[in-house]
Amino acid sequence: MSRPLVRAVGVARRYGDVVALAPTDVELVPGETVALVGPNGAGKSTLLALLAGALEPSEGAVDVQARVGWVPQRPAHYARLSARENLELFAQLEGVGEPRVAAQQLLDRFALPGEDRPSGELSVGNRQRLNVALSLLGEPQVLLLDEPTAALDPGQRRRVWDVVNALRGEGGAVCFATQNLEEIDHADRVLVLLDGRVVTSSPEEVFG
Amino acid sequence: MLRRSPLLLAALLAYPIVIALLVGLVAGYASAKPRVAFVDEDGLPPVVTVAGHSFHIRSVVDQVAKEVTLVRLGPDEASRELASGKVVATITVPPGFVGKLLTTVRTPSLILRTGSGGLAPRVTQQVQALVYRLNNKLQQGYISANLVFVRLLLHGGAGSFLGRHFDVLGLDGTQKLLEGVPPSKRVAAIQRFVRVARVGLAQTGAALHATAHPIALAQPKQKGRTWVLSAQVQSYGIALTVTFLALLLAAGAAAAEQEEGTLGRLRRGLASPGQLVWSKVALASVVGLGLGAAIAVLFGIVAEAGGVSGGEPWARLPLLFAGVLLAAAVVGAAGTLLGALAREPRTASLLAVLVVLPVVFLGLVPRGALAAAWWVSELLPFSHAVRFIGAALYDTSPWRAVGTQALWLAGLGAVYWFLARRGMRTLAG
Repeated sequence: MSRPLVRAVGVARRYGDVVALAPTDVELVPGETVALVGPNGAGKSTLLALLAGALEPSEGAVDVQARVGWVPQRPAHYARLSARENLELFAQLEGVGEPRVAAQQLLDRFALPGEDRPSGELSVGNRQRLNVALSLLGEPQVLLLDEPTAALDPGQRRRVWDVVNALRGEGGAVCFATQNLEEIDHADRVLVLLDGRVVTSSPEEVFG
Repeated sequence: MLRRSPLLLAALLAYPIVIALLVGLVAGYASAKPRVAFVDEDGLPPVVTVAGHSFHIRSVVDQVAKEVTLVRLGPDEASRELASGKVVATITVPPGFVGKLLTTVRTPSLILRTGSGGLAPRVTQQVQALVYRLNNKLQQGYISANLVFVRLLLHGGAGSFLGRHFDVLGLDGTQKLLEGVPPSKRVAAIQRFVRVARVGLAQTGAALHATAHPIALAQPKQKGRTWVLSAQVQSYGIALTVTFLALLLAAGAAAAEQEEGTLGRLRRGLASPGQLVWSKVALASVVGLGLGAAIAVLFGIVAEAGGVSGGEPWARLPLLFAGVLLAAAVVGAAGTLLGALAREPRTASLLAVLVVLPVVFLGLVPRGALAAAWWVSELLPFSHAVRFIGAALYDTSPWRAVGTQALWLAGLGAVYWFLARRGMRTLAG
């Protein structure tokens, strides 16, 4: 079996007395796509943020052996900067060799507006596309996507799944959270979460 | 919501009370002692003996310190501080003051110079009161000296005046001489004059006691800075602007990154909590420096245009800029901490405004008004920024004051930076 690109052992997150995620073990191996399914508040976003390193675990550890791209549930970019400026800024921070070129490529790939309009004024769909585009800076081997198609039109959804499938084909790993049961067809494996724990129930049982 | 947030409820109840107390304290400052420079160019001896009467002139002068804060300064320093508004008036004892006083026939002058501030009339009254007290004390010596001459005129004898010695026959001697002269109309007229003169001179002592003002108060016109351009206003103006701006900016920036979700992105190995704090501190410093510099330059231009003297509006700008930069950085670190605690830009802005007001009021409370408030103020950057800026602009030798305040600011900055770093870690995590 391939060495995991991301491995979480007993990773948990608590906010005071509230358990957002009970100790959980997760592995992402090359060439696989994992779907996280569960109702609101099940712990999907928390688990993805922990795997992405955006959140510190209350206990347990996450071992990452690859470059990781993260698409948070809420678009995360500087609202006063344009889409291009956001891409260039984060490309620089990611240490991308030619930030301008990388930014332009992603603008073209996701059909994002290249003018100087602040990204905070973009439509919800465009902001989500920018959110996805930002996760691809630095050519990650692992993609962690938190409901990535929630605000996208069918064409843009297809584009996202193309990205996912391409990465998997190149030996990368993808983990995405969704509440759309149709999307689990894109996954090789499904993890069902309920009340902060991975359960053995089927997605249909969890959603009732 | 308030029931679920007892801390918020307590803060909402306590805040107006604290602000009211601080406003009261600061308002009380208006009735506090004004700062007056005392320049002794004559080297006043501890004791002055006028016509055989000794009195402690310094103790009389010190009595005025009950009404004002007397600061003994050299002439140049006093002029400089008056021009910059750090003292509201100067009282100068000019050279030869005591010498003139001892002659008992010449009137020496104390020189009072006041600035153009609102406290000047009050200080003039205080100094007039001082001169009145001095005159009262001197009156006894002067009267005694004058009565010596009156007694000489009455009874005759040896005397001296301005170093010249002489013998006087006196009215008693004159009357005795006239008794030996054959009577005539002329002799009778002289005898009448002598009697009347003796009666009149006998009343002189009482008359002298009734009126005596040996010292006049001269008040030459002084072209100092108006209250608006005074050192206090300039220091407080720059420090207040920088504090308000840097706190608001850093708090807003930290909270905005949290709200926009970019903090989570950055924390994924792109920036450490320390770097996140530094970025806010740098933002606050650069913007604070820009605005502080603009205000300082504006003050300088207005001072030049008004032809007012005092201070170093241009030569000390680099030192001033260093102070503004340091103050903005320290406040920026505090603002980052607030932003991390607030988590949301609007809350952060409100929190920053709520924090700035008491911080500034605490900085305005004089030490004598409430020691506890003064000490709390010492743990906040505002009062140190004010002192740094004031010293940088107006002190003759600013290095000691500037160094002390810079150390305070650096120490406070380190504490705020550490707390803000923890706050950013918590916020992101």
